[in-house]
Amino acid sequence: MEPMADAAIEATGLTKRYASVTAVDDLSFRVREGAVTGFLGPNGAGKTTTLRMVLGLARPTAGSAAIEGRRYVDLDDPARTVGANLEVAGAHPGRSGRNHLRALAAMAGLPRSRVDEVLRLVELEDAADRRAGKYSLGMRQRLGLAATLLGDPRVLVLDEPANGLDPQGIRWLRDFLRGMAAEGRTVLVSSHVLAEVAQTVDDVVVIHRGRMVQQGTVHSLTAAGGGVVVRTPRTAALLAALERAGLRATETPDGALVVEGAEAAKVGDVAFAAGVPVHELSARSTTLEEAFLALTSDAPPPLPEAPA
Amino acid sequence: MTRLVAGELIKVRTTRTALGFAAAALLFVLLMVFISILAGHPRTIQNKQDSLNFGNITSFVLMLLGAVGATGEFRHRTLAPAVLIAPDRLRLFAARTAAYALTSLAVGVVLGIIAFAIGLPLLGGEAGPDLTGGDLTKIAVGGLIEIPLYTAIGVGFGTLVRNQVFAVVALLVWVSIGEPLVGLLGNDVDHYLIGSTMTRIGSGGDDQVSFGQAILVAVAWTVVVCAIGALVDRRRDVE
Repeated sequence: MEPMADAAIEATGLTKRYASVTAVDDLSFRVREGAVTGFLGPNGAGKTTTLRMVLGLARPTAGSAAIEGRRYVDLDDPARTVGANLEVAGAHPGRSGRNHLRALAAMAGLPRSRVDEVLRLVELEDAADRRAGKYSLGMRQRLGLAATLLGDPRVLVLDEPANGLDPQGIRWLRDFLRGMAAEGRTVLVSSHVLAEVAQTVDDVVVIHRGRMVQQGTVHSLTAAGGGVVVRTPRTAALLAALERAGLRATETPDGALVVEGAEAAKVGDVAFAAGVPVHELSARSTTLEEAFLALTSDAPPPLPEAPA
Repeated sequence: MTRLVAGELIKVRTTRTALGFAAAALLFVLLMVFISILAGHPRTIQNKQDSLNFGNITSFVLMLLGAVGATGEFRHRTLAPAVLIAPDRLRLFAARTAAYALTSLAVGVVLGIIAFAIGLPLLGGEAGPDLTGGDLTKIAVGGLIEIPLYTAIGVGFGTLVRNQVFAVVALLVWVSIGEPLVGLLGNDVDHYLIGSTMTRIGSGGDDQVSFGQAILVAVAWTVVVCAIGALVDRRRDVE
């Protein structure tokens, strides 16, 4: 892996085995400081296990992880360095949201006024004195985010924060993440639903079956799968011409050809040289969703879930 | 460490669990005082001591509170947020144990005052020798020593086993059935078990195990159970 300046989070050879199950296998990645990084992978890919190892909640079988250059357990002031939300609940059902945060604030040595601030930030003030057991899933997510923000940390680690949120909640979360990024925080957010993070992240780390599939900027991920869409009434002739030119094309159900990894000008030149009329010629960029599916669908089926 | 204890104390205070166990302990203490004096009419020093022995029953009930509180961290998945703030698991465990011990001590003080306030006037009307200041001190000191110790044992055992139902049932079965069965073996081992030590501290010791020895045994049990719980927990992943 190429060195990356200012890596806020760095995982090196992380491996986690549960008996015969390898949940995470020699995973290395870096998260840029000040960037929002999507940690993507289908269910069972090992995202949560990886994040738990990064946060010192699970011991790696091999490898290591560092936040701002130090293991989580060695951080001088974890609450002010990293805010993490790994559990949907994470609060005693009989304790109010406010008291849940008060306890955590006291443990971190934070003033009680900070509890009110984060409650306001996640728009949970009105429900703060209700017992957490009465909260909706969205409210519990907000409570988790409030706990994450208590120490005003520089790094945020959020595991599937959009799980169970309704469309309004997802929009709120998107705005929330954008706000965090605008403040210059590093955000690592995991998801198996690309639409939730596609509009928010700068970088992506894609894993499948506990292994790294791709890491890079969103642009690099989508550009790699780009191509050209071309329509012609003489599909067979154009396919043959493209093949002679060394280009790979596939026919879509509606009769168009998708030429992978080519530029529109090159395809146009090939068609012109072959005397094939062209009715449409357009560049096609892969969406993050498509790139994600392409990266993970070719891989073998996911491993069984690691034991809870 | 002070911060962690403060946070854990907020956690203990802000659910109804501790209040429920304290109420249960109060009920048992009241029943013990009223029944043993009004129905039992104690005439010996030993029987009169037993009728005020708030520490014994309170220790037992609050040991279960410690177990329920510790296992609740796993049951409700509230351990992870705390570990994220305090990654040193041993310190976190020590803070939780201290918080429950302090809470139980406060409950013990209140229940001791109630037991003495009700029991002493009632004992005044009973025949036989009166309890001396030394007798009363031994009951009070013994109770206030054993209550936090046994609550800590509950926290250590709960942390070790994690399953709430199992922890409570195991403690109940051990103290009420297991230890009496060990006593049937006919050796002196049963004099030094958890439940029998609890009884001896509350009653000021006896011919087999003195008051001071019983306290030392209780401290040893507390250290052993808590050390095992803490060390095993430290090696586990947080779910």
